[in-house]
Amino acid sequence: MERAREIEVLKLYRVFRGRKEYAISLLALAVAWEIASYIFPPYAVPSWSIILKTLISLDFTHAYITVIRVLLALAAAFAVGFLLAVIMYLSRRIERYILPLVNLVMAVPAICWVLFAILWFKEPEFRIFFVLVAVCGPGFLIDILDGMKNIPRHLREMLVSFRPSKNQLVRKLILPAIVPSILTTWKINLGLAVRVVTVAELVGTISGIGYALNFALGNLSLAEIFAWSLVLVTILLSLQGVVYMLEARLLKWR
Amino acid sequence: MPRIVVENLRKEFGQQKGEQRVVAIEELSFTIEESEIVSIVGQTGCGKSTFLRILLGVDSPTSGRVLVDGIEPYKEFDKLKGKIAAVFQEDRLLPWRTALDNAKLGLEILGIPKEEQRERAARWLDRLGLAGFHNAYPSELSGGMRQRVALARALAIEPAIILFDEAFGHLDEVTAARLRSDFLNLSKQQRYTTVMITHNLDEAIESTNRILVFGRPAKLLADINLSYVDKSDLAEVYRLRRLIQSVIESNRPLESVGAQTF
Repeated sequence: MERAREIEVLKLYRVFRGRKEYAISLLALAVAWEIASYIFPPYAVPSWSIILKTLISLDFTHAYITVIRVLLALAAAFAVGFLLAVIMYLSRRIERYILPLVNLVMAVPAICWVLFAILWFKEPEFRIFFVLVAVCGPGFLIDILDGMKNIPRHLREMLVSFRPSKNQLVRKLILPAIVPSILTTWKINLGLAVRVVTVAELVGTISGIGYALNFALGNLSLAEIFAWSLVLVTILLSLQGVVYMLEARLLKWR
Repeated sequence: MPRIVVENLRKEFGQQKGEQRVVAIEELSFTIEESEIVSIVGQTGCGKSTFLRILLGVDSPTSGRVLVDGIEPYKEFDKLKGKIAAVFQEDRLLPWRTALDNAKLGLEILGIPKEEQRERAARWLDRLGLAGFHNAYPSELSGGMRQRVALARALAIEPAIILFDEAFGHLDEVTAARLRSDFLNLSKQQRYTTVMITHNLDEAIESTNRILVFGRPAKLLADINLSYVDKSDLAEVYRLRRLIQSVIESNRPLESVGAQTF
C-alpha cells in the first residue's frame, strides 16, 4: 500500500516537471527581444507592441488555410507511409524493392520538390499537397517500419505462445508497440511540414501564410513578416502541443 | 497416456545454404505424466530452451516429434490454445499495460468475457501478493513483482501444462524461494503438469519430483526420480547434488559417471 502511494506521488511529480523551465526559457527570449528592439531600428527588430498591433490586423484566413493544407497532406502522407510500412514489414522481398526508392525520395531537397511540382502540375493546391506528401511521407514510412522492426522478439514470442489470431497480434502487440514511433514522427513531420508549406505557398498560390509572407515582403513590411512568423511558430507549437498531450495520455506508462 | 511424449527429437540450426550447421538437440526421448513436476538441468547453451520452445510450439524439430496431449504443438499450433502457458526468465510484460491488463492478456486472447477476465486476473494477482498494484505499470514494479505478474498471466488462463524457462533465475534468492514456494503450493492444488528449466540444482531438487539432466548438445544423460529421495536429509541432498553436477560436467550418462564417482 505504501508503494502504491509512492507511485501516485511520482506520477504527480512527472506531470509538473519541466513546465516551469519551459515558461522561463520563453519569457527570457521575449525580454531579450524587447531589449534588442530598443537597440536596433524597428525595421530590423520591431518591438512587441508593433508586432502585436500588426498581428491583430492580420487576415487569419491565411493561417487557417495553411493549417488545413498541412493537416490534410500529413494525414495522406501518414496513411501512405503506414500502408507501405506494413507491406514492407510483412514482405522482406517487397522491402528490398521499395527501400532504394524511398531513400532516393528522401535525398531530394524540399526545394527541388517545389520546382518539380511547378513543372509537373498546374493546380496550385495539388502542387502544395504533392510537395508535402513527397517530403513527409518517407519519414512516416521509415519511422513506422523501424518501430515495427524494433518490437522485441521476446515479447512477440510471449504473445505468440498464447496462440493469438493475426488480428489479435496486431491489436495487442504491434499497434501499441509502434505508438511511440508514430507520435515522434508526427512531431518531426509537423515541424517539417510547416516549414515546407510556406515555401510551397510562395509559388503560384493566392492564399496561405507563404503567400501572405511574400505579400509582406513586397510591401517591405518587416513587422508583418515577424507577425506571420510568430503565427507560424504558434501554429507549430500548438499542433505539436496536441501531439504532446496525446503522448502524455497514450504513453503514460513511460 | 502420458501428457508429454518426446520421441527421437533432434534439432539443428543453420540448415540454410552456406550456414554452419549447429546441433542444439542431439537426441531426446522421454515422457512426462499428468501433474508431474519435472525440472530440466544442464550446461548453459545445451538446448534446454530450444526444447522448451519446441514444446511451446514456437519452434519445430529437425526430426523426431513432441506430443502434448497427443498433439504436435508446432504443427497444430492452435489446438493447444489455453492448454499450455510459459513463464520466461525475463518477465516479458507489455510495458504499456498495467499489471491487471498484463495478467488479462491470455484471457483476452482466449475470448473470455470481459467481466470474467477482470475477475480472474485480479484473483491471481491477489493470490500472488499483488493486491493494491493492479493499476501499476511494469516500470513501477520491482523485478520480483513483475515476475509475479508474469506468473499470474500464465496461471490466469488455467493451463494444464506450465513451462518455466529459468523463470526465477535473475531474482534474488529470497524472492525466488518465496515465488517458487507460492507456485508449488498452487501446483499441488491445481495439479499442473510442470516443466521447469533451471541451471540452479538446489531449485531443481527442492521444487520438483523428477530431474532430467541434459548433455551438450541436448541428450538425456540422467532421468532421476526424486520420490525416493528424502529432501530433509541434507547429506543425501548434497550427494545427489554432487552426482548431478558430475554428470553435467562430464557430459556422460549417469551410469558411467556414477561408477566413477561413487
